[in-house]
Amino acid sequence: MIFQELIRRFWDFAGAVSVRTKILGIVLGLVALFGVAATIQARYAMTATLTAQLEEQSISVSRDLAARATDPILLNDLLRLHDLLDETLANNPNVRYAFLVDPHGQVIANTFEGGFPLDLLALNSVQPNDHHHTALIQTDDGLVWDTAVPILDGKVGTARIGLSDASMHSAVSTLTVQFILIILLVSATGILVAVFLTWILTRPILSLVHATQAVAKGDFSPRVKRWANDEIGDLAEAFNNMTEELARTDELRRERESLRRQLLEKVIATQEDERRRIARELHDSTSQNLTSLIVGLRTMETTCSQCAALTKAIDLRQVASKTLEEVHDLSMRLRPRVLDDLGLAAALERLASEWQARYKIPVDVAIQLSERLPSEVETAIYRIVQETLTNVARHAQAKSASILVERRSDLVRAIVEDDGVGFEVNTNHGEPHLGLLGMCERAELLNGTLTIESVPEHGTSVFIEIPLRSPLPAGEGTGVREKPA
Amino acid sequence: MKKVILLLTVVILASCSVIPRTEVAGSVDLNNLEPLPTPEGYEAVPLRVAIAAVISPKGTLESYSPFLKYLETKLNRPVELIQRRTYLEINDLVERGEVDIAFVCTSAYVQGHDTFGMELLVAPQVNGETTYNSLLIVPTHSSAQSMSDLRGKVFAFTDPISLSGRVYPTYVVQQLGFKPEEFFARTFFTYSHDEAIRAVASGIADGAAVDSLVFEFGLDRDPSLRDKVRVIHTSPDFGIPPVVVSPFTRPQVKAELQALLLGMADDPAAQKALTAIEIDRFVLIDDSAYDGVRALMSDIPIPETP
Repeated sequence: MIFQELIRRFWDFAGAVSVRTKILGIVLGLVALFGVAATIQARYAMTATLTAQLEEQSISVSRDLAARATDPILLNDLLRLHDLLDETLANNPNVRYAFLVDPHGQVIANTFEGGFPLDLLALNSVQPNDHHHTALIQTDDGLVWDTAVPILDGKVGTARIGLSDASMHSAVSTLTVQFILIILLVSATGILVAVFLTWILTRPILSLVHATQAVAKGDFSPRVKRWANDEIGDLAEAFNNMTEELARTDELRRERESLRRQLLEKVIATQEDERRRIARELHDSTSQNLTSLIVGLRTMETTCSQCAALTKAIDLRQVASKTLEEVHDLSMRLRPRVLDDLGLAAALERLASEWQARYKIPVDVAIQLSERLPSEVETAIYRIVQETLTNVARHAQAKSASILVERRSDLVRAIVEDDGVGFEVNTNHGEPHLGLLGMCERAELLNGTLTIESVPEHGTSVFIEIPLRSPLPAGEGTGVREKPA
Repeated sequence: MKKVILLLTVVILASCSVIPRTEVAGSVDLNNLEPLPTPEGYEAVPLRVAIAAVISPKGTLESYSPFLKYLETKLNRPVELIQRRTYLEINDLVERGEVDIAFVCTSAYVQGHDTFGMELLVAPQVNGETTYNSLLIVPTHSSAQSMSDLRGKVFAFTDPISLSGRVYPTYVVQQLGFKPEEFFARTFFTYSHDEAIRAVASGIADGAAVDSLVFEFGLDRDPSLRDKVRVIHTSPDFGIPPVVVSPFTRPQVKAELQALLLGMADDPAAQKALTAIEIDRFVLIDDSAYDGVRALMSDIPIPETP
């Protein structure tokens, strides 16, 4: 329907402007509508009244002229007739012309100077018995009410008067101008009122908006002033209540988060400690024992060459050697001593070479570290790279991989890339991979970030950034403490 | 929705303001001034009839219309009525031959005859007489019984050369031993007898002298005047105001007009015209009928201007 379409278009326009513009529009629109309506109505009423008055005046002036001209015409007193016409013209500003016609249609006297518009004669006439006859005549000076009045029943002639409506138009124009001025004045006042109203109305809304923005940024401190006891006041109060509730909830959440973090740190620290202890145990005790066992078995091989147990001894030594290797490997994976002893660079290079050897995937390692990093940072980066490489080996079907670690002024950045099948990063959001989650947690515990960029069939990149010398978040625990082995 | 209603209101109001206008009769350029055409001549040369302002111009036109119409019919030529404010102006028209026939006052005839040869045509006969009087009238409630009681009052003259309206009352005042300007507090001219009666009836003048014929005529036309004015003095008989022709009027025309007027009384078609001017008939009259007036006027100076 066209009406609905119009309303929709109007709303497209009205909805796009600010409340200030809307209120201004309403005020100005109403003032303009009322003003235009009032002006039109006043013009109409005034024109109608003045037109009626003009017609009345036309009749009364011409009848007066007819009465006063009777004797001068009968007496052929032309001077007096001219005086009479001039007086009529002078005393009635609306009179455009006046003239007298004898019964033969000859003009006896007129107010035109230096001639006469001959066409005028035929435009109006009156029957001898009529009171008067008025005709509306279009002239180059505007419309003229022409009234003809018979003098002495037409025996003496006819008096003709033309009343111009120019003064009426000028009066109507003056009225219109006055109305327009009033409309402008009221509009100006309306603008002031609208601006004031807008200020009254939008002040609480704007403060609500500011407070909302602050809340969105996590600042629950702002409170909105209740300006008035209206709906917006209620809204402000509801907002304040909500903010207080949010602040409480947020406080609770922070406490829990802090607790969780502490717990996590504890878990990770304990885990690392435990790994380190087991690794040392494996290295120091189990490996030594296995080495002793192998040495014993070899001695047994040489001393007992014909012994039936020789074959068995060789088998056992091989088993022991393999076990030792596995223990080494296990120890290495649990907690490489090289990480504690030589630092991240050496540890990563070793990790890479072992990984390369194991999975037959070439790894390019580029590490630019001039000095050792804090041990918790080294551990975190090492563990993340380790987990990433494990993932690459398990899922990526990569042909090559690269590890880049570099130190920027106040952060350390590590990038692990592969050219494998990649995966849809976002699909993991619903049900996050525990390994990835652990990597993220490790980075975040040190206020770092972990970003994964992956496009299916175009490999995966893991970016780790961990700030250095950054103070730990307030209320946080002591963070991961790595004890040197 | 409110806006829609407002909009509708505006539209309705706007449609109301279409002002119902009278049909425009035509258009004319008021600044396109052209010289007025010279009046086209009548089909025939009109007979120009001058009537002295014994009664007001309007009254004259109304009373004499049937008479003029009768002339028009009988002569089969248009008749033009010419009126002037004063008797002297009429006399001037007669003197210059600008009118063919004129109804003049007695004293105007005497003056015209004696100065430029105004010619008598006929005289009206009223109530069987060819004489009339000057009547001195006052308001009904006035205590004045004669002219001497009007001393120091306001007096209305009719025309400067009117016998009944100025010459005779001036004569009466002179007989009392005064000049009018000394005798009366104030005088003014009404230029017609019916206006003089009206001036007295309305109390503007305390007295006036009027033509007895006009007085009767006026009372007949407006009977209420009988209660407003009364006559306190009647003059001797004077020769009745005649109908004259200019010395330039051609003798044939003069004869034709004379015959026509004299025959009116016998023409039934003329009765209405005669009744309207309250005349029995037109009769021939001799200049000697005005000798009495001539004698009276020799004592009273006729002012050139009022």
